[in-house]
Amino acid sequence: MESFTPLTATLGGALIGLATAVLWLGNGRIAGISGIFGQLLPPAQTVVWRLVFLVALVAATFAAARLFPGLGAGGDSPARLVEAPAAWGVPTPVWLAVAGLLTGLGTKIGNGCTSGHGVCGLARLSLRSLVATLVFLGVAVITVAVTGVV
Amino acid sequence: MANLKLPYLATAALSGALFGAGLYVSQMVDPLKVLRFLAIPAGGWDPSLAFVMGAALIVMFIAVQLGKRRSAPLFDVAFHEPEYRKVDRRLVGGAALFGIGWGMAGICPGPAISLIAFLPDNLWIFLVAMFAGSLAGSVVIPSGHARRLADAQ
Repeated sequence: MESFTPLTATLGGALIGLATAVLWLGNGRIAGISGIFGQLLPPAQTVVWRLVFLVALVAATFAAARLFPGLGAGGDSPARLVEAPAAWGVPTPVWLAVAGLLTGLGTKIGNGCTSGHGVCGLARLSLRSLVATLVFLGVAVITVAVTGVV
Repeated sequence: MANLKLPYLATAALSGALFGAGLYVSQMVDPLKVLRFLAIPAGGWDPSLAFVMGAALIVMFIAVQLGKRRSAPLFDVAFHEPEYRKVDRRLVGGAALFGIGWGMAGICPGPAISLIAFLPDNLWIFLVAMFAGSLAGSVVIPSGHARRLADAQ
């Protein structure tokens, strides 16, 4: 299993944990990306810090890719998205549009994503986040098995 | 406004930067890596992302415990706890829809944003669709603290 990368996964996970810790202890905010992204439009009066957070996130990804080229995608360029499975006959742009739509809609209605529920919520011992995490992980595993996208 | 002061915004920038670096180092920015983690029933399962979540959880759990000793965070008057408390159909239904989207593309919202650093083909389609989906979801779940509190009762 050459693709198994426990060391960088643990290090990267610790950085993500540190990111959520800094935002919680500093500003009392949950670092849930779907929430930060999804409330960029009014009526939220808190647009500025959300924008600052997201710009820093992209900039740091860019910087990390310059410092450690090849790490982010295990040696390949990380600049590729998954293509729609050939057997489905769906063009990739349509596939990605549906996936994006479901991701935005689902995280809004379910009030969180991998970071908000999966990291922050579980660390706060929230029952809602435990349920949400089990559901989206389980459904994602089933979806990958059904679509055969990898 | 506490949330326009420099320490508050610097904290947001530091958190975002750590988050972006973590997504890259852990390889969660790679949709294929994510899908190989989700492809449990297939051969050659890659369990790496369980280590990402585990490590992040341990660090954040400690931070939450530290936060409990304080009445407020460093740069705001209160911790912003989520408004919703009950496990309901919207939580489960929303998580299920997100699970389908995540399983189709291997891109959850954090990596979707961090991938902007590489400008991959078609990423804009995913981002626009994600934003549209989030907007559509505000019909069901309102935006803004006061509206959410009222909605959660």
